[in-house]
Amino acid sequence: MVETTKKRNKIFNYFVQDEQFAGGVAWCAGCPMELIARLTPKVLGKNMIFVGTPGCAAPVLHGQNVGAWHRMAYMASVMTGVPSKATGLSRYYNRIGKDATVVCFTGDGCATDVGFQPLSGAAERQEKFIYLAYDNEGYMNTGNQRSSATPIGAATTTTPVGKIGKGKSNAQKNMPMIMLMHKPRYMATATVSHLEDFIKKLQKAKEKSKEGFAYLHLFSPCPVGWRIDSSKVIEVCREAVRTNYFPLWEAENGKPRITVNVANPKPISEFTKLMRKYSHLKEDGLAELQKQVDERYALLKTLADAGI
Amino acid sequence: MVSAQKGQVRVITGNATGAYGAMLCRPDVIAAYPITPQSEIAEQLAQFKADGVINSEFVEVEGENSAMNVVLAASIAGGRVFTATSSYGLVFMYDALQETSGFRAPVVMVNANRETPGIHAVSSGQQDMISARDAGWVQIITENDQEILDQIIMAYMLAEDNDILLPVMVNYDGFYLSYLAEAVEIYQIEDVDKFLAPLKKQSPRQKLEPGVAQGCGTHGMEMGYVEARYKHTQAMERVKNKVDEIDKKFGDYFGRYYGGQIEEYRTDDADIIIIASGSATGTARTVIDTKREQGIKVGLIKLRLFRPFPAERLIQALKGKKAIGVIDRSICFGWKYGPICMELKVLTQELGSVPILSYIDGLANLDITIPHIGRVVDEVNEAAKGKPYQDVTWIPMEE
Repeated sequence: MVETTKKRNKIFNYFVQDEQFAGGVAWCAGCPMELIARLTPKVLGKNMIFVGTPGCAAPVLHGQNVGAWHRMAYMASVMTGVPSKATGLSRYYNRIGKDATVVCFTGDGCATDVGFQPLSGAAERQEKFIYLAYDNEGYMNTGNQRSSATPIGAATTTTPVGKIGKGKSNAQKNMPMIMLMHKPRYMATATVSHLEDFIKKLQKAKEKSKEGFAYLHLFSPCPVGWRIDSSKVIEVCREAVRTNYFPLWEAENGKPRITVNVANPKPISEFTKLMRKYSHLKEDGLAELQKQVDERYALLKTLADAGI
Repeated sequence: MVSAQKGQVRVITGNATGAYGAMLCRPDVIAAYPITPQSEIAEQLAQFKADGVINSEFVEVEGENSAMNVVLAASIAGGRVFTATSSYGLVFMYDALQETSGFRAPVVMVNANRETPGIHAVSSGQQDMISARDAGWVQIITENDQEILDQIIMAYMLAEDNDILLPVMVNYDGFYLSYLAEAVEIYQIEDVDKFLAPLKKQSPRQKLEPGVAQGCGTHGMEMGYVEARYKHTQAMERVKNKVDEIDKKFGDYFGRYYGGQIEEYRTDDADIIIIASGSATGTARTVIDTKREQGIKVGLIKLRLFRPFPAERLIQALKGKKAIGVIDRSICFGWKYGPICMELKVLTQELGSVPILSYIDGLANLDITIPHIGRVVDEVNEAAKGKPYQDVTWIPMEE
């Protein structure tokens, strides 16, 4: 008899526990954040505890009354308190010798705006937990408002395009670089088009968070807010990497290393054409965005090459 | 339980007392951020840690909001926790304050009372705690350094009781008590262990553990929300008697009684009553004694418990009195009366048509002096005779 078993994807080899979420949950079709949320506990293992906040993840992670759509330990927080709560949890569990992987799970709005102070504080103190920021470049749960992670030119409901308005007029806050300057024990950027890269970084974050602070910045385009066809989301992630819009790198103790090298980066228009978020951009707008992408990448490359 | 051994008497400030009080209760996790007039507590606790006097986790947070969040989470994980703040710090942690009580975390916090932002006042006043009165916390006001120490120990006994499980804020007048050095008996830590030991005999409280499918802070939808709020207010009601019980136990063991929810001074045969709180009650007692010598039958109630409001004890103490004067060290936006007076007025039906006179005094480090309280007694005495009176008086504005 001929063996017909389909070859299993190698990423399954990294999983140490089963699916922790219910099958049908109330997240939007095609959302990469759902993939991130489902994948993370499979890789990080049993003694994990999520600390989450109002945002896209909340409707599922928080649960309602005594019901939930997952079977993990979970603490909900207001947006200003996530890393501080993780500090309290991890300090106490460490004190009593309880094995725990404490993971903050927030969007970019919490990480870069309203919850930035405690994040910076926890990083400076080298608190022993993982902060995972899923970056959809705005406040998507409340309806696509701008955050400081929204890039220049992007149309959101608070930076709309109109007779005068041309989308967001300020540049995106370079959050991964800001976190690098905190010299966390470990940090990385990742996205779901490069799953093995992402998983290895999760594993490393878990390992290194036993010694100090670990930060993961995850690119997570929003099919609803960015106006992307749900079936094209992974492609958008891949193009973000290939255009250097979202380079994949990691850093131990503040020394950056690019993990996915892009030999010939594509022009940014190859990325922007996949969504309506940037569809209003004319040549000058695209040039401005391209310039920011190039500048940011050059900074990263310089630091990585210098090996400092 | 037999009584405790003699402690060590040291002359220390109110702030240092706060730190000693915390130390005696062996918290697992401490988080503190400096703010005038509380900073010395954070410093003293850090020094205890540096000297190996305490082995608590000490988190030098980057702000008060984080301080509250750290202790909240550590408490939910099962730890005993401590923090301290004042004024702007309390305001800055307001969202976390509400979460802490909503999560039913038995956090103990010391608050050195100070005026609040707007008019930038680095001075004493109870406006900070008053502004947080609806945050769902138990709020207790102390009068002197010894009471700060004792109340911290009693606060753990209260907060961690399975019938309560609520955060407790121990308040004292900033500047007045923060920097006032007094003789304080610091008990043997083993005795404090013994006093708090019954907490360990309770069934362990629910806690959040990694790997256990359990959520904390879920969305309270409709009845889920209502039920949680109902239980919270029921626990608040239970606090009142529990405060009296703990006060009795504490007194029996350590030899100091504070009267529980309120302390009554010469109230039994009094015709008129003055209500005060915090460090000003010492001054008030002196005035009461003087006025008694002059033939005025006046008594004093020291309000210790502000949240929950000790309605039943107050009704009992005030029933049949002919007039009441309330001295508030804070103001109430939206009502002309001071906050404690406003709360007391809810009891008008139980107390009959007795005149209640509201006095605002001691804001922003202004002293509540002997002549001030003397004036209050005289005016309340006149009101008791049926003479017309002014229902709200800002004493400093009339000087």
